[in-house]
Amino acid sequence: MTRVIPADAAECARVLVEAARDRRTVRISGSGTKAYIGDVTQTDIEVGTSRLGGVLDHEPADLTVTVGAGMRVVDLAAILARAGQFLPLDPPHGNEATIGGMIAANSNGFWRARYGAVRDLLIGTRIALADGTIARAGGRVVKNVAGYDLDKLLVGSFGTLGVIVEATFKVIPLPAASDGLVAGFTRSADAFATADAVVRGASRVEACVVERSEGTAWRLAVQTRGSAATVRRSIEDARRELAARQGEPRDLGDDLGSMRELPARATEGALVRVSLPLAATPAFAETAARLESLAALVADAASGIVRVHLLGDDDDLIRDAEALLLAARVVGGTGRIERRAEHLASRLSTWPTRPNGDFLMRRIKEAFDPAGILEPGRAAFV
Amino acid sequence: MRGLIALLGSAKVLGAHHDLLLYEYDGAVDTATPDAVVLPESTADVAALARFCHEHAVPIVPRGAGTGLSGGAIPVEGGVVVSFARMARIVEIDVPNLRAVVQPGVINLHLSTAVAPEGLYFVPDPSSQKACTLGGNVAENSGGPHTLAYGVTTNHVTGIEVVLSDGTVVRLGGKAVEDEGYDLVGAFVGSEGTLGLVTEITVKLTPLPEDKRTLMAAFPTMDEASETVSAIIAAGIVPSAMEMMDQLAIQAVEAAVHAGYPLDAGGILLLEVDGPRDGLDDARERIERICRDHLASEVRVATSALERDRLWAGRKGAFAAMGRLSPDYYVQDGVIPRTRLPDILRLVKDAGVRHRLRVANVFHAGDGNLHPLILFDSRLGPDELERAKAAGLEILTACVEAGGSITGEHGVGMEKNCYMPLQFQPTDLAAMRRVKDAFDPDGLMNPGKIFPTPSRCREFAFASTVR
Repeated sequence: MTRVIPADAAECARVLVEAARDRRTVRISGSGTKAYIGDVTQTDIEVGTSRLGGVLDHEPADLTVTVGAGMRVVDLAAILARAGQFLPLDPPHGNEATIGGMIAANSNGFWRARYGAVRDLLIGTRIALADGTIARAGGRVVKNVAGYDLDKLLVGSFGTLGVIVEATFKVIPLPAASDGLVAGFTRSADAFATADAVVRGASRVEACVVERSEGTAWRLAVQTRGSAATVRRSIEDARRELAARQGEPRDLGDDLGSMRELPARATEGALVRVSLPLAATPAFAETAARLESLAALVADAASGIVRVHLLGDDDDLIRDAEALLLAARVVGGTGRIERRAEHLASRLSTWPTRPNGDFLMRRIKEAFDPAGILEPGRAAFV
Repeated sequence: MRGLIALLGSAKVLGAHHDLLLYEYDGAVDTATPDAVVLPESTADVAALARFCHEHAVPIVPRGAGTGLSGGAIPVEGGVVVSFARMARIVEIDVPNLRAVVQPGVINLHLSTAVAPEGLYFVPDPSSQKACTLGGNVAENSGGPHTLAYGVTTNHVTGIEVVLSDGTVVRLGGKAVEDEGYDLVGAFVGSEGTLGLVTEITVKLTPLPEDKRTLMAAFPTMDEASETVSAIIAAGIVPSAMEMMDQLAIQAVEAAVHAGYPLDAGGILLLEVDGPRDGLDDARERIERICRDHLASEVRVATSALERDRLWAGRKGAFAAMGRLSPDYYVQDGVIPRTRLPDILRLVKDAGVRHRLRVANVFHAGDGNLHPLILFDSRLGPDELERAKAAGLEILTACVEAGGSITGEHGVGMEKNCYMPLQFQPTDLAAMRRVKDAFDPDGLMNPGKIFPTPSRCREFAFASTVR
């Protein structure tokens, strides 16, 4: 395999058009943190984005920032913080993930219900395409409906349409105050009822997550940021809801960081990730908790994204993983096997079922990459 | 005609000349008469219609309430206009999942009214929300004053049912926040009816804010008002709305709506903060101080819901109020980086002077989304509209040169498709074209919109090479 690290968009486009001409397959790699997603095979070329970095434009008063796709999310956070701002995205692999990888994998954290997901904050991109051209989608202003919103197609495209070389995001001022709490429950119903009350309450928390790990205990973590007055209010409201259900609160440590990084830890067994209608989350979690191979469960109670880590005998955990995906579908949700131990890959594909509209997805893929060189096997939906 | 009636029944098909005339215009300035109008009552009707049109290679133009401001619903290449007036049912209000499922003909405000008893609302609130439909909002990716903090339509749609131009029905997304695979819902929203016909929409419902504070601040000139907008952002405050109006707009609004705006102000800002009650007064005080630091002659805080509604009535009724000043207006929708407001506003003024037309400004200052209303009088001859369009083009060119966009929320339609090359390179447009061809390979869905067309854009291409 040849590894190429293009210095700019033009070089990247050149690499792609030559690969297309020679029918050589291409993998695209940022920090490589999410290489486990998909049913990938060895490619002829790997395109690294590490030289496509740096802040290209940041006018703080416009609340927008344009960066190279190879920049790490943490490095951007540090630069924005100096201007009193932040990009409100908290993807897993937080210390390593690049901007491009976060977009391509639609990688979100717990802040999405409050601030939006990658799709909501991304307002522009430049992409190198397989025909050697460079296309710009969206723009650098916060509102723009000129033409199709191609940015949306790139979020979660896993590199199958082109190489993202540059991205523009909305950013927001850093809140002045922050606080949080975490509480244990013996019954999942209490944890989720509390979470639900917090999510629907007036005080708009930043993260509200229910976790179950070793033992039988459930934990609820709540984080809030804003002005001192709104933070105080959020915490008061959350404490009141906790007290109503005998939850014993303590101060929040790095609990949310640890919950967010479940995908990074799940190197063994299988990690199922589902996206559910919000109200279906508690029952799904109950179902998962009864599974023999359950190792950990993290449910974003504000958005309905649930991850379940399964460990144990191969046959058991494959059966359990399939049961979870089915349970998600039954309630109108969808899911994937986000990660699995290498030896399970042949038995558990990332996307065992096809999403609605897959024929349109395949037509789009074909239009952007007629030679089929980009990320073969990565995304089963095309 | 006969084929359509045989297919759908005469009650769903209009073909008489006097009926068709009612469908030849929308909220913009261009017109074209359809060959027929169809009023489907179900997804099955729409699919049958699409199959029929596909078979006969007839263009299809979807239409909501016809309030669009870029000619999106105008059958510029003839064909069938599909009115969704009879598919106007709220199918489901799903409080536990914070979703509503609606048919495309549901009026924007009716949804928020219907879910208000549950303490919920649908966030996007275009000024036409009393009339415009959610199908139209999806097509145009509509915004409104409160999108600064809460986003536009695309941020509030999680699922759609679509009839493609060959009659295929496909459901994309659902009630969950995301689906597997490409985000086709995201690609579809804002596609202006050029990719397919939306027959059902699943939208997010948002808990109503606990409380709000609404302020009106009057400034000697637009410069101070613009600087105030930047200063508020710089102070780390993101209001839910920051709307600006210039003197001419204030005069029109006061004559029509009596919102209580000061007639002697050079510009006013309408500001709103919302959220948990705690902290709202603090934010209001900080905003008030910033306004006074920027020479605001008056800062008025709404002390009741009635006063708030009155302040907002002026803003929401502003376009309609232009009738007090001029028989016709041509509204533009350019976007600029917020920090460029003062110089672009000066340029807007100059463009008006150069073309001997008055320009009123009513716009979303927080987003940098301008709405210059170029006033003209078509009774004085066709030259008036031509001059208005020329002034509009100068303004849009300046917006693009400032790093902005030719449209923030009204769409490209047939009004600005010739201007797309101002903002996009041929490679950018080619990428969009690939998506169009994937959804609508025969090009029957709302032709003549978004993409420059050789026939209609020749003149413009010539003008731009001369320039």
